[in-house]
Amino acid sequence: MADTHEQWLREMEEQSKAKQASFMAGIAQKLKHPRVTEAPAHPFRGAPDFWNELEWSLEEKIERFSDNWKSVGGHVARLADMDAARDFIAAKAQEMGAKYIVRQNEAELDSLGLEAALPDARVSVWNTDPDVYWKARSAEADFGVVMADHSVAYTGSVVVKSSKDKGRSVSLLPTVMMILIPVDKMKTRLGEVLVEFDRAGRDSLPAGIHFITGPSRSSDIENDLTIGVHGPGIVYALLVG
Amino acid sequence: MKVSLFITCLSDAIFPRVGEAMVRLLAKYGVRLEFPKVQTCCGQPAYNSGYWDDARATARTILDAFEDSDFVISPSGSCTEMIHNYPKLFKDDPAMKARAEQLRMKSYEFTQFLVQVLGVTDVGAEFPHKVTYHPSCHGSRLLGVKDEPMALLNRVKGLEFVPLPFAEDCCGFGGTFSVKMADISGAMVSEKVDHVKETEAEVLVGLDMACLMNIAGNLRYRNEPVRVMHLAELLAEGAKLA
Amino acid sequence: MSAKGTAKGTLGTVKERAGLALNDEFLRKAVKFTTERLRNGKKNAANEHGNWDQWRERGRAIRLHTIAHLDYYLNLFVENARANGVHVHFADTGADAVKISLAIAERKQAKTVVKSKSMVSEELHLNHALEKIGVEAIETDLGEYIIQLAGETPSHIVIPAIHKNRYQIADLLSEVAGEKLEADTTVLAGFVRKKLRESFLEADIGMTGCNFAIAETGSMVLFENEGNARMVTTLPKTQITLMGMERIIPSFQDLEVMATLLPRSATGQKLTMYMSAISGPRRSEDADGPDEMHIIIVDNGRSLQLGDPEFQELLNCIRCGACLNACPVYRHIGGHAYGGTYSGPIGAVLTPALNKNIAEWDDIANASSLCGACYEACPVKIPLHEMLISLRRRKVEKGHGNKLEGAGMKGFSTLLGNAKRFRTVLKVGQIGQKLVVRDGGIRTKIGPLKGWNSYRVTPSLPKKSFRENWPTLEQEIRAGLQEINPEMKQRMENIVKNRQQGGGHHHG
Repeated sequence: MADTHEQWLREMEEQSKAKQASFMAGIAQKLKHPRVTEAPAHPFRGAPDFWNELEWSLEEKIERFSDNWKSVGGHVARLADMDAARDFIAAKAQEMGAKYIVRQNEAELDSLGLEAALPDARVSVWNTDPDVYWKARSAEADFGVVMADHSVAYTGSVVVKSSKDKGRSVSLLPTVMMILIPVDKMKTRLGEVLVEFDRAGRDSLPAGIHFITGPSRSSDIENDLTIGVHGPGIVYALLVG
Repeated sequence: MKVSLFITCLSDAIFPRVGEAMVRLLAKYGVRLEFPKVQTCCGQPAYNSGYWDDARATARTILDAFEDSDFVISPSGSCTEMIHNYPKLFKDDPAMKARAEQLRMKSYEFTQFLVQVLGVTDVGAEFPHKVTYHPSCHGSRLLGVKDEPMALLNRVKGLEFVPLPFAEDCCGFGGTFSVKMADISGAMVSEKVDHVKETEAEVLVGLDMACLMNIAGNLRYRNEPVRVMHLAELLAEGAKLA
Repeated sequence: MSAKGTAKGTLGTVKERAGLALNDEFLRKAVKFTTERLRNGKKNAANEHGNWDQWRERGRAIRLHTIAHLDYYLNLFVENARANGVHVHFADTGADAVKISLAIAERKQAKTVVKSKSMVSEELHLNHALEKIGVEAIETDLGEYIIQLAGETPSHIVIPAIHKNRYQIADLLSEVAGEKLEADTTVLAGFVRKKLRESFLEADIGMTGCNFAIAETGSMVLFENEGNARMVTTLPKTQITLMGMERIIPSFQDLEVMATLLPRSATGQKLTMYMSAISGPRRSEDADGPDEMHIIIVDNGRSLQLGDPEFQELLNCIRCGACLNACPVYRHIGGHAYGGTYSGPIGAVLTPALNKNIAEWDDIANASSLCGACYEACPVKIPLHEMLISLRRRKVEKGHGNKLEGAGMKGFSTLLGNAKRFRTVLKVGQIGQKLVVRDGGIRTKIGPLKGWNSYRVTPSLPKKSFRENWPTLEQEIRAGLQEINPEMKQRMENIVKNRQQGGGHHHG
């Protein structure tokens, strides 16, 4: 079956490539120009120039981020260091009775020592055991603990990138998301993070890049705001440093 | 300097008092409006309904009427905006298009002319009433007449201005729309009048008689005693020129 | 449910469908309330952000540039997406896109497809097609899930179930639950969370739309608030993305502009709760994300706008729904009255443009007072009000005009194209109206005044028109005329001089 499916995919690929040429030619013809094969000059790339000058001080970034995060129903804690972060998470786990915790497999989180701080809870480390169905493990978790790869003050957003050690599920499926944000790396504008992906180029991008700006929400029923529709309804931004 | 009045067919036929107010107000500053009698309608009903051949026919009449004018002043932002569409209407006829461009440059809505060209905001009017203002869509959105009427209203002595809730919402006129989609148009004008009533204003003022006729018609249908005036009328009356 | 539930079919014209909507008190109130909330949210967000017109201008410039070079950017996207491991397919028509989707589902022996919101999928009526081959398609956006249960179509691009109240929703969900659910938002949303969580984990295929596709990296970008699009792109083994061929932007930098415009225009948010950029299936060592990813690039009438000077800008649309929220007509009649997949001002133009069947959809173009609120609200400045006029004009040019209206317009231009004839008409009116004028107004509801006078009293014509009174007025003015104020005279002369020197910048 696998072979036939691979074969079918190859056939589809052939058809697609054949179709691609005529599809693009059709567009060029309708646009009344010869096929454009060289990159055209793009004078309007990205935000207007005046915008790119905006840059806040560290304290202002932290304040704006916090205001934004709280304004959409998220929680914020400003913590001095990673030890304080561990204590905060442990205390919240105690308080909320969290028994199942899943965390990313990252050096910073290894050294956090969550496992020792929460002897009664089961702390699972993403993708460390091939026999575990990690999506389900995340779905049953009370807490998902993740490191932010980036953060943006203007919109109050954190950014997480997927990898072997960093599951998309960890920031998505648990009831509560705890995200640790090293404040010294916080950016003012979205563009400061986005331009990095352009610079890195296609080869270096992970499969999933997720900007998270607060708890899952919906106003689909009579405009009544509900939190936690599909993703985590409780989100803690732990500003470390 | 030849300053011409583009009366618009609606004010000509139904609301001559608006043209009279404009003529008297401008005369106060020594600007004598002249009235080319060959003028008729700007052609907007045909243009908006897609009958551009018919719109071109009336547009030609307007182009002829104002060929020699230096300034063309109208009491309707919508009809002035229609003149702004003439170059598009004649896009395949370079000679006519050039004339259309000329006319477009010369055309002003009444308050635009008063404030932008003459530099007048205080006409010396006194009008001790509670007044609200409906900004017509074409004048405010498409022609950009937003600050001028407010500047003029602000300088009227004794006038108490009450902002109209959801002022920028269309009154539902829309030309043939009010006939073709009578029930939707009716719902829109009813909502507009609800908002006018909320202000408890004695007078509703505007810059476009088509919209004002629509709103006044619903006010009257509901026996609401709100007086509906063009801003030119209010200013002329306040300046004792009526 | 009443007939308004089925978007098209039972009732033929927009007027008839609008009539139903206008008589549905709940619908009118709900639509008004929601659009007002969104409209105010947008205004506040735009003001707070500042320089809004500059951002709109930039958004428009990026979209114009991309569409003008669409063959380059789309091709670049395709190459990069393939390099990311995506299987890319091309669909000229909706039917082609359905065929490809079904083929993938069959190959995968799929039993269940979980879907996040996709307007393209609505265009294709894909759920129906999937059901026919025995595949269950589950909409997972809360609003979409509700209307799917009700067997209806979305009535708003952003808030699909705008027309349903919580009691109706509780009834629908109670049926699924097999027990009576309280008509409380938290209870209802909580039930859906639990119910759909199982579906996400069990489904064979996740299907999404695409807000933007980044040409230089082959990434597809999704904006959402609930997290269901993330579920759909994270949990099932196969992902299918339906993408309109015009969704392209060149780079991630350009995404900053779209991310600034889209959420603010749609809901007034600084950013949606989730913005995800997916660049291909999971890497082999990843433990989540799809094993296999397909992107179906859909034309379905879009390319007909290319090279058309009046309609090409339609492809700039970023599907924010701001024009719906700003539109006074939409506010009164709701989305279903438009009778197509897309409603409101964008729908009134897009539906006939995509279908190129102006005659069939002609009445939709008439459902607008041409007030321009849509243009003012549009984050990429699409001149929808002008496009509506173009549609009407093309219909007339193609000979699909209404005969009565055509005759009327001919009469109009004949009578109003000439001042003498205009004067005669006025005279006839002034005399003739005596039959119907009472107390200075006309209230009769017969003939052409029927619709108008159902809501208004028509003013009567005064004894004398302006032109009849002009000689008297001119005399009066001439008698008392003062010298023109020299400063004003100077201002006027400067303007005329500037104009003659080609200082073409016009007021207003």
